[in-house]
Amino acid sequence: MVNTPTKSLAQHPLIDYIERLERGEALLQDSPQNVMEVVGILKSYGVVLDAYSRNLIYTSQHQFLVLFPFFKYFNGDVSPSRLLKHWWHDRINFEYAEYCMKAMFWHGGGPLDEYLDTPEFRQRAKEALKARWRGNPFMLTLNKIFPEFLPEQVRVMAYYSALGQFWRVMSDIFIELSDRYDQGEIQHIPDVVQHILNGLVADANRPITYQVEIRGQTYPIIPPEVGLTFLMDTAVPYVEAVFFRGTPFPGTISYNAQAYQIPGDQASFTYGALYADPLPVGGSGIPPTLLMQDMRHYLPDYLHKIYQATPRQEDDLLVQICATFQKSMFCVTTAAITGLAPHPLNTTDPAEKAANREYLVNWMNRFITSRVESINR
Amino acid sequence: MLSAFILLPVLGAILISLVPNTNPNQNRPRIIALLFGGVILLWNVILGFQFDPSQTAMQFTEYIPWISWLGFNYHLGLDGLSLPLLFLNSFLTLIAIYSSNVNIQRPRFYYALILLLSTGVAGAFLAQDLLLFFLFYELEIIPLYFLIAIWGGGRRTYAAMKFLIYTALSGILVLAAFLGLVWFSGASTFDYEPLREQVIPLGIQLWLLAALLVGLLIKIPIFPFHTWLPDAHVEASTPVSVLLAGVLLKLGTYGLLRFGVGLFFEAWITLAPWLATLAAISALYGAFAAIAQQDMKKVVAYSSIAHMAYVLLAASASTPLALTAAMFQMISHGLISALLFLLVGVVYKKTGTRDVNVLRGLLNPEKGLPIIGSLMILGVMASAGIPGMVGFIAEFLVFRAAFPIFPLQTLVCLVGTGLTAVYFLLMINKVFFGRLTESLSQLPQVDWGDRIPAIILALFIVILGLQPSWMVRWSETDATALVVSPSLLSQVAQAPDQALSLGDELSMNVLPSRSGNN
Repeated sequence: MVNTPTKSLAQHPLIDYIERLERGEALLQDSPQNVMEVVGILKSYGVVLDAYSRNLIYTSQHQFLVLFPFFKYFNGDVSPSRLLKHWWHDRINFEYAEYCMKAMFWHGGGPLDEYLDTPEFRQRAKEALKARWRGNPFMLTLNKIFPEFLPEQVRVMAYYSALGQFWRVMSDIFIELSDRYDQGEIQHIPDVVQHILNGLVADANRPITYQVEIRGQTYPIIPPEVGLTFLMDTAVPYVEAVFFRGTPFPGTISYNAQAYQIPGDQASFTYGALYADPLPVGGSGIPPTLLMQDMRHYLPDYLHKIYQATPRQEDDLLVQICATFQKSMFCVTTAAITGLAPHPLNTTDPAEKAANREYLVNWMNRFITSRVESINR
Repeated sequence: MLSAFILLPVLGAILISLVPNTNPNQNRPRIIALLFGGVILLWNVILGFQFDPSQTAMQFTEYIPWISWLGFNYHLGLDGLSLPLLFLNSFLTLIAIYSSNVNIQRPRFYYALILLLSTGVAGAFLAQDLLLFFLFYELEIIPLYFLIAIWGGGRRTYAAMKFLIYTALSGILVLAAFLGLVWFSGASTFDYEPLREQVIPLGIQLWLLAALLVGLLIKIPIFPFHTWLPDAHVEASTPVSVLLAGVLLKLGTYGLLRFGVGLFFEAWITLAPWLATLAAISALYGAFAAIAQQDMKKVVAYSSIAHMAYVLLAASASTPLALTAAMFQMISHGLISALLFLLVGVVYKKTGTRDVNVLRGLLNPEKGLPIIGSLMILGVMASAGIPGMVGFIAEFLVFRAAFPIFPLQTLVCLVGTGLTAVYFLLMINKVFFGRLTESLSQLPQVDWGDRIPAIILALFIVILGLQPSWMVRWSETDATALVVSPSLLSQVAQAPDQALSLGDELSMNVLPSRSGNN
C-alpha cells in the first residue's frame, strides 16, 4: 500500500465515501439492482475463477519448467476432441489468469516477493532444478551460463501456485454468496461485503505452500515453515497489483514511456481493474475482454434479463459485464479495506476513529481517479 | 420487353396510390414497391441473359410511331452502354426502397415517387429517340424534386428548388442541342441512329455540343456547375441520396457518351482537350473541397464530384478502351457512392449527427457500429482505388486509357485519386477510430436490416473488383462501335474478345493528331 499526502479532510473530493465506509456502507450504493448485478456477476466470476485456479495449480505442479508447454491449458486431458475444441476456442481464456499472475509477479510486494529473493528459496530452487534437469547436460550448462534464468522461472511457477490457491478460496466465497442470495439471505450491498469479509477472515491464516513432485520425489519450493498466509501474502498483493496498479495497457490509448507518460514509480500506477475504462472492452487485445468473454457463458438468467432491458440489449454485453464486474470489485475492495482497517470502522473511540480516518484517507486518495464515482452515477 | 421497365414501375405506382389511406397496414405501399422493384430487377437479369454482347446493333428494340409529323416516336433499344446502367438503376431502386424508413410519413406518395423515378431513369437509358430521351430526362426531375422537398432535411425547400432550377436548365440546354441538331441537319426525325449519319459543319457542331455539354455537365455535375449537388445530398434522405449519386448523375455521363461522342464526334474531338482539362480541375476541386468538409455526407458528395470527373476524362479520351473505362467508372461510382451514402445514413440514423468533429470511436466493437464502420472502411478503400475492389479497376482503366492522349490531365487526376485517400482517411480517422465519446456510448442497436443492403453492395464492389470482365464484357463492343468505323466493326464482330485492342489500335490510327492537341 502506498502512502500519499493527506488532503484536508473537509475538502477531500471523496469525503462522502469516507463517511459512507464509516457508517458501515460500501463504496457501491445499495440498491436491489446493484445487489442482483453484483451477486450475479460474482457467481459467474466464481465459476471462471474455479477454472482459472485449477489450471494455475495444474501448471505450477505438472508443467514445472516444461520448456514448450503446448498443452498447459489442457489440465492433463489431451485428446483430439479437446484439441479441436481448443482450436475452435471452445474453452476458458486461461491466458487471462496468467496475465493477472504476471501483474502480481511484476509488481511484487509483500512477504512472498521477499521470500523469493532469499538464499533459502535459491537453495530450494536449486535442488528442484537439479532434479528436474538430471541427465540433461544442455540445460545444466545453460543454468551454469545463465544462473538467474531458471530460478526466475521457478519464481514465476511460485506465483502460478500462489494465485491459484488465492482464487481457489475466492471462487468458493463467490459461489457461496450466490447460493445465499438465492436463499434470500443476501439482500443488501453491505451483506455482500460482509459475506466476502467473513470469507477472507475465515481463511486469513490459511497457509500458502508450494511443492513439486519430480520423479516421485517431492521438492518443497514454499514449505509451510516460511509462514506465508492467504490474506497478507496473496490477497493483499493481488488487490494491489490487479485492482490498483495493473499494467499500462488500457485499450484505445497508447502510452509513450520515453515521454514519461507512465509514472517512473511503479507504485503510482493506476491501470488496475478499479480504474479500467469499460468502453474499449471487446476490442482486440484489450486484456479484460478475455475475462468478460469467459464470464458471459456463466451469467445467471436474472443478469441476462437486466442486460436485455438496456437500449442495446445484449449487443454490448461484454461492456455491460465489465461495468457490472467493476461494481463487484468495489465491493471486494470494500471488504478488503474493512478487513485491513486498524480498528473497526464503526468505532466510537475518538483516537481509533482518527486512526481509521487517516487509514481511509490514504485509500481514498488513490480512489480519486478511479471509477468509484462512475459506478455510482 | 423493354417497355416493362417503363410500365411496371408506373403500374406499381398506380397500385400503391390505390391502397386506401385509412388502411391500418402502413407497410402495404412498401411491400408493393419492394415487389415491383424485385420483379423489375429480375426482369433485368433475365434480359441480361438474353442480351448478346457481341452485337453492336440495338437489341430488343421497340418502335411505336407517336407524333409522326414531328418525327417523334416511341423507340426503345438496349445496347452495351445502357444495359449495365439499366441494371444499376433497377438494383439501386430496390436497395433504396428496402433501406427507406419503415415508418416514413406519407408512404403511398413516397414509394410511388421512387417507382416513377425508376421509370424516368430507365426510360432515358432506353430511349432511341432524342425527344423521348429528353422527355424521360425531364420526367425524373419531378419525383426527385418531391422526394427532396418533402422528405428532406431542414433546408429541403432551398435544396430542392436549387436542384430543380439547375436540372431544368440542364434539360433546356439538352433540348436546344437536340432541336439544333435536327434543324441544322435537315433530318425529318429525332431518331438516334439516322442522326448519327448526318453531316453538319464543324462550327455548328461545336455550338450544339457546347449547349449539350453545359446541360450534361450540370447533371454530372462537373465544376463549376456542381453547386446544386452537395446541397441536394445533404438535405435528401438516405435512399434518395443513394439514387441521386448512384443513378441520377449517370444520366449526365451516359448522355456524354451516347450523344456527345455519338452524335458530335468531330466537335467532341476538337473540344476533348478542354474537357479533359475541365475534368482534371473538377477532380482536384472535388477532392480539395472534400478535405475541407465537416459533414460526412458532404465529404461523400464532393468525392462524387471528383470521381465523376474521371468519367469525363475517359470520355474526352474517347478511345474504345477509354469509353469502356468510362462505363466501368460509372458503375463503380454508382456502387461505391451508393454504399457510402447508405452507411453515412446508418451513422446518422443511429447517432443523430454526421459531424466529423462530434463523432468519434464508432468502430468500438461492443458499443459502436463495428460492422457499419468496417463496411465504410471497405467503401473508402474501394473509392480510393485499392486493388481488389471495383474502384481500382475503374480508375486504372480510366488512367491507362487517358494517359497516352492527355498525359498532363491524367496526372492531375491521379493526384486527385491520391487525395481521395486523404479526405476519406481523415473522415475515417475522426469518426471511427479513437475512444468512443461518452455522449455516443448509448447508441441504439443496429439490426441486420440496416446492414444487409450495404453488405450486398460491398459484395458487388469486391466481386467486380476481382472479376472485372463480368462487367466489361457488356460494354466493350458498343464502346468500340461508338468511335470506330463500320468496317472495323465487322472485324470486331468476328472477334469480339479482341474488340478493345482492335478498336484502340484503329482509333489511334484514325485520330493521330489528338495526342498533339493538349
